[in-house]
Amino acid sequence: MKKKLDFSAIARSKVTWAVVAEALILLVCLFVRPEFFSISYQPSTGMLYGNLIDIINRSSEITIIAMGMTLVIALGGTDLSVGALVAVSGAIALKFLRWDVTIYNTPGDYTVYSFALVIIVPLVVCILMGMFNGFLISKGEMQPIIATLILMVCGRGIAQIITNGKQFTTQYSPFRVIGQGSILYLPTPIIITAVVVAAVALFVRKTAFGTFVESVGINRKASRLSGINAQRIIFIVFTLTGFLSGISGLIYSSRIMSNDSNNAGLNFEMDAILAVVIGGTSMTGGKFSLVGTVLGSIIIRTIVNLVYYFGIAAEATMAFKAVIIAVVIVLQSEPVRNYFAKRSSARREAVKGGAKA
Amino acid sequence: MSNLQTAPRQSLWTRVTNPKFIMVYATIGLFLLIYLFGAIPYGDVGFTTLRTFTTLFVDNAYYGISAIGMTMVLITGGIDLSVGAVASLTGMLIAYGTTVMGIHPLICMGFALIVGVGLGLLMGWVIHYLNVPPFITTLTGMFLARGVCSLISRESIEINHPLIDDLASWKIYFMQLKDGEWVKIKPSAYINLNVIIFFVMLLIGIYLLQRTRFGRNIYAIGGSEQSAKLMGLPVGRTKVLVYGFNGLCSVLAGITYALYVKSGWNLSLQGAELDVITCAVIGGTLLTGGVGYMIGTLFGVMLKGLIPALITFNGNLLSWWGKIATGLLLLLFICIQRIVVKTTDRRKGKKRAPVKS
Amino acid sequence: MPENNLLEMRQIEIQFPGVKALDKVDFTLRAGEIHSLLGENGAGKSTLIKCLTGVNRMDAGTITFMGNSIRPQSPQEAMGMGISTVYQEVNLCPNLTVAENIFVGRQPMKHGQIDWKTITKRARELMARFHQDIDVSRPLSYYSTAVQQMVAIARAVDVQAKVLILDEPTSSLDDNEVQLLFDVMRDLKAEGMGIIFITHFLDQVFAISDRLTILRNGHLVGSYDIGDITKVELVTQMVGKDMDTIFNLKRASVPEDAPDMLNASHIGSPGQIEDISVTVKKGELIGFAGLLGSGRTETAEMLFGAHRATSGEIEVDGQKAEIKKPYDALVKGIAFCPEDRKRDGIIADLSIRENIALAVQARKGFLHPLSSKEQNEMADKYIKALGIATPDAEKKIGELSGGNQQKVILARWMATDPKVLILDEPTRGIDIGAKAEIQRLMLEMCGEGVSVVFISSELDEIIRCSNRIIIMRDREKVAELNGDEATQEKILSIIAEGAKAAGGEAS
Repeated sequence: MKKKLDFSAIARSKVTWAVVAEALILLVCLFVRPEFFSISYQPSTGMLYGNLIDIINRSSEITIIAMGMTLVIALGGTDLSVGALVAVSGAIALKFLRWDVTIYNTPGDYTVYSFALVIIVPLVVCILMGMFNGFLISKGEMQPIIATLILMVCGRGIAQIITNGKQFTTQYSPFRVIGQGSILYLPTPIIITAVVVAAVALFVRKTAFGTFVESVGINRKASRLSGINAQRIIFIVFTLTGFLSGISGLIYSSRIMSNDSNNAGLNFEMDAILAVVIGGTSMTGGKFSLVGTVLGSIIIRTIVNLVYYFGIAAEATMAFKAVIIAVVIVLQSEPVRNYFAKRSSARREAVKGGAKA
Repeated sequence: MSNLQTAPRQSLWTRVTNPKFIMVYATIGLFLLIYLFGAIPYGDVGFTTLRTFTTLFVDNAYYGISAIGMTMVLITGGIDLSVGAVASLTGMLIAYGTTVMGIHPLICMGFALIVGVGLGLLMGWVIHYLNVPPFITTLTGMFLARGVCSLISRESIEINHPLIDDLASWKIYFMQLKDGEWVKIKPSAYINLNVIIFFVMLLIGIYLLQRTRFGRNIYAIGGSEQSAKLMGLPVGRTKVLVYGFNGLCSVLAGITYALYVKSGWNLSLQGAELDVITCAVIGGTLLTGGVGYMIGTLFGVMLKGLIPALITFNGNLLSWWGKIATGLLLLLFICIQRIVVKTTDRRKGKKRAPVKS
Repeated sequence: MPENNLLEMRQIEIQFPGVKALDKVDFTLRAGEIHSLLGENGAGKSTLIKCLTGVNRMDAGTITFMGNSIRPQSPQEAMGMGISTVYQEVNLCPNLTVAENIFVGRQPMKHGQIDWKTITKRARELMARFHQDIDVSRPLSYYSTAVQQMVAIARAVDVQAKVLILDEPTSSLDDNEVQLLFDVMRDLKAEGMGIIFITHFLDQVFAISDRLTILRNGHLVGSYDIGDITKVELVTQMVGKDMDTIFNLKRASVPEDAPDMLNASHIGSPGQIEDISVTVKKGELIGFAGLLGSGRTETAEMLFGAHRATSGEIEVDGQKAEIKKPYDALVKGIAFCPEDRKRDGIIADLSIRENIALAVQARKGFLHPLSSKEQNEMADKYIKALGIATPDAEKKIGELSGGNQQKVILARWMATDPKVLILDEPTRGIDIGAKAEIQRLMLEMCGEGVSVVFISSELDEIIRCSNRIIIMRDREKVAELNGDEATQEKILSIIAEGAKAAGGEAS
C-alpha cells in the first residue's frame, strides 16, 4: 500500500513541530555565530570536540532516563522519582569506590571494592527502587504521580544515609571513562546513550511490548479483558525506568567524579518529562514516539548550550529554557496544530479545485 | 412512597459521619497519634508546651498559605509546580527593590502581587484554552520564575527596612492571669503576622470552596470536566481564576517567607512545591481531583511541620531523616486511603432505584 | 396545528469533512408531545440534536423556537433558552451530592453565600416528584445509573425547560426503571413540555411516543403519528430493507450426544453471585435472560476470570481449568465480549489491525510478536468476513460506528479460535442491520462447533437464537428453558415473579 504524503497529517504531528523548533534554533544560531558548528579533533584524548557533540553528550543523562519516561507517560503516568534515583546511584557508586575515607584519606586512582560492584550494586538498587514504584502502582493500584512522589521525597534522604552525609571524591580512572572517556572518537556517554536508545527501541518495537504499553495506556481495563497482563506491563516499565535512572546516575557521578546527594539529578524528572512531551507523546497516555523523545532531550540541551555559548549567566538558563519551551508547547498545542492542519488542507482543496477548473 | 415527612433528614451526627470526611479524620487521627508519639518521650523537655504547638504555625505559615491555593488547584484535577519559584521571586523582588533600589517595600509587594497573579492567570489560560497539560505549563512557569529570579541577582540579598523589621517582629504573646496580673505564659508562646495571614487565607479558602458558586464549580470540574462543561458551568473562567488565586497564595507565601528569613535568594524554597503538594495530599486531597478539604490541608501542614520538630527534639537524628519520615508518612497515608476506598466500595454496593408500589 | 409548534427546524444542512451529515432535514416538535427520533447509527440523529443544543454549527437551515428564530452557539446558551438535554452517559459529577448536581451553577444564594438548606429541601422535593425517595446529601456515585439518570432529568427540568431531549436514556435501565422514567415523561408532557426521545428500543417507542420522525443517511424519511405506522413498516423505513429478510435466522442444531464444552459447577464469590452452575455443549448457544443486575454479567465475568470465582469449579473441554484472570481463560479457549464496549472493549486510539490482533498477541505474550504480515492478513480476513465498513485496517477503532466497533471486538476473539464465546449484550446500542449481522455470525460460529453464551436484555433475540435459555433473578439461576418451549410471556412471568418478590421485600 503506497501512502500519499498528507500535509495536514504532518502538520498535525507533534514530532514535526519538535523538528521544526530544533531546526529553527540551530538556523538562527548558524546566522549569528557559524563557528558554533565547528567540530575539531583532539589527538591527545582521541576525541572529537565541538558544540554539536557537546550537546548530544550532555543530553545523555536526560535522554537515557527519558527513554523509560516515554513508556511511563505512554502508560498515562509520570515518574517523579528518577532524579532522586540518580542521586542514590551516584552515592552508592562513590561509597563502594571510597568505602571508608579514614582508610584511604586521599582520593586517588584506586577503588576499595571491585569495579564490577561499583557498577552493579547501584544499578541493582535502582532496579529494586523501580520495582518498589512498580509494585505500588501495579499491585497497589496507586496513582503513579503519588507513588513515585514517595521515593522522590525520601530518595535523597536515602542517598545521604548511604554516604552518611559525606561527599566523596575519586580519581579512579576506569570510573572516569564512563562519563569523560571516549570510544570511537566519541564521548562514552554518547555511545552508552546510543546503546540504550537502540536497546529500548528494539525491545518495544520488535516485540509487542510497545503495543501493549500503548494499549494499557489508552484503556487499562479493556486491555486486561483482552488477556494482557496490565500489571506486569506497568511493573516492567517502572522497573526499567529505575534501571535507566541508575545508568544515568553513574554517568552523572563519573562526570563530577563525586557524589552530590543534594544536587545530583536535581530536576531531572522535570527535564525528562519535558523531553517526552516536546517529543510529541501526550501526557494522557497512549501512542508514544521514542525518536521524538530523543529530539526533545536534544532541544532542551541545545538551549542550555546556546545560553552558555553566548556568554549569558548560567543561572539565567532557566528563563531561556522557559521561553523556548513555551514557544514549542504553544506550537504543539491542539488549537494551533489544528489551525495549521486546517490551513494546509484548505490549500490542498484549493489546489484540487484549481486543477479541476 | 414519596412521602416527604419520611424523607431522611440530616442530623448533625449523620453530617459528621458522612463517609466523605473519612480521610480528613484519618489526617487528624494521624496528627494526634504522632503528637502523642512525641509527647511521651519528649513531654518533659517541652514538647507538649503551647510554645512548641504555636511554633508549628510560625515555622510553617508560608507552606500553609501556599497549600491553600494548591488544594484548590488539585481539586480541579490540576497541579501547580511554580509555587516555590514564584514565592522565591517575590522574596527577591522585595529584597532587590528595597535594599538595592530603595523602593518602599509595600510597592515591591504590590508589584510582586501583579507579577504572581498575572503569571497564574496566564498559566491558567494556557492550560485551559491551549489545552496544554498543567504539569508542563506550570513547570515552564517554574523555570521562568526561577530564571528571572536568577537574572535579578545570584546572591542572597538582605532586607533592611524598618517596615519589614516591624512586621517581622510583631507578635501576639499568649498571656495568663497570675496574681491578678496578665503575664506571658512560660515558656512564652506567640503567634505572628504570618500565622494570622495563614488563618485569614484559610478562612477565605473555606468560604470560597464551601459557600460560593465559584468554589462548587471547582469541585464539579474536578469530578468531571466534561460534565461540568455540559452542565453549562463556566469551566474556563473558573480554571483561570483558580490558577490566579494560587498565584496570589504563592506571592503571599513569598512575602511571609521574606518576613521569616528577612532576605531574598534566587535558590530559596527550591522543591517547596513538592512539600506543599505533600501537605495537601496528606490532608486528604486527591490528585485525581474532585476531593479535598481546607481543614484536611490545615492538618496536613501541621503534620508535615511536626516531623522536623520531632527531629529537633530528638537531637541525635540528622536532618535527612526528616525526608525519609515524610516519605514514609506519605506511603502510610496513601495506603490508608486505598484501604478506605476499597472498603467503602465493597460496603455500598450501589443502590438501585426503588420500585414504585 | 401549526400554532402549537414549539420548535421547528427547517432545511437543516450540516457538512462534515467528506460527508453530508444532514441534508435538508425538517423536524417539528409540538408542546405537550413525546416525539421519538429514530434511525440507525450514522443516520444523523445525534447530529440533528447537537445542532439544536449548539454543539455543532449548521451550514444551512433555520430553527424557530416559540416563534423566534434561534441559533444556539453552546449548550449553555441552548439551556438558557429552555432546551435541555439528558445524555446516554450520565453527564453529572459523581463526587458532588445529588442535591448539588441538580443545582450546581445556579445555586440559590443568601447573604452572598450558597443557601444549602434551600438546595437540600428543593432537591428532595424534586426527587420526590420523580418518585425517588432518596438521601439527596449522598454523593451521586452512591446511586445506580437509573437514579443518576433521574437526577440528570431533574436538573434538566428544573431549569424551566420547554424542550427536553432524552438521548438514549433507557439503554442501561431495567424494565422497572424504564416504567418509572415513562411515568416522569408523561407527567412532564402533561405540563406542556415537548420531549424528544431517542432510543433503539422499538417497543419503547410505541409505548410512549405520540409522534415519530425517521432519519436515514442524513435524510428525512418521514414523520408519522404513532397510530399511522406499524413496527414492521417502521423498521423497513429505518433500514430501507424488509424486516423478514433481516431476521431470517435459524437456530443452530445441536446433536444430542454433543460433548460438554464448558462446565461450571457451583461457582460464586461473596457479594457477586453465589452458587451458579452452567453447562454448555459443543456448538450450542445458551441465552442468559434476566433484568439488569440479576447476575448475568457477573456470571459471565466469572467464567472469563474478569472477577475471580472464590468457590466452585470450571471445566473446559473436559479438563479442569483454574481461571484466576482473563489471561487464564484466554489460554483455555474462552473468549468474552464485554457489555460496555466503549469502556471495556475498544482501545480507541489503536488501529483496527492492532485491536483485532490484541488477544492473539496477548495469548502469545509480548516476546513472541506477530509479524506485520500476519497482522495484516488477520485484519484483512476479518474486515472482509464480518463486513467491517472501513477504508483500511489502519483506521483508529475509535472513529468507527458502534456496530463496526462491535464487529472488531468480535473479530479480536474469533481470531483466537475460541472454544467458548461469551457475548454480553453484543447488540446493544447498535443499529438493526448490524444487529442482525452479529446474530447471524453467532449462529454461524455455533455451526462451526463453537459454544456461545449470549446475554441480552432483548427477549426476542434471545428466543430467536438460543438452544437453551437460563433465566437469572436476584443473582441466582431460577430457571432453564429449552429454546423451543420458550416464549416471551413465559420468560417474563418467571422474571416478574422474582421482581414482585423483590418489591415486596423492599417496602
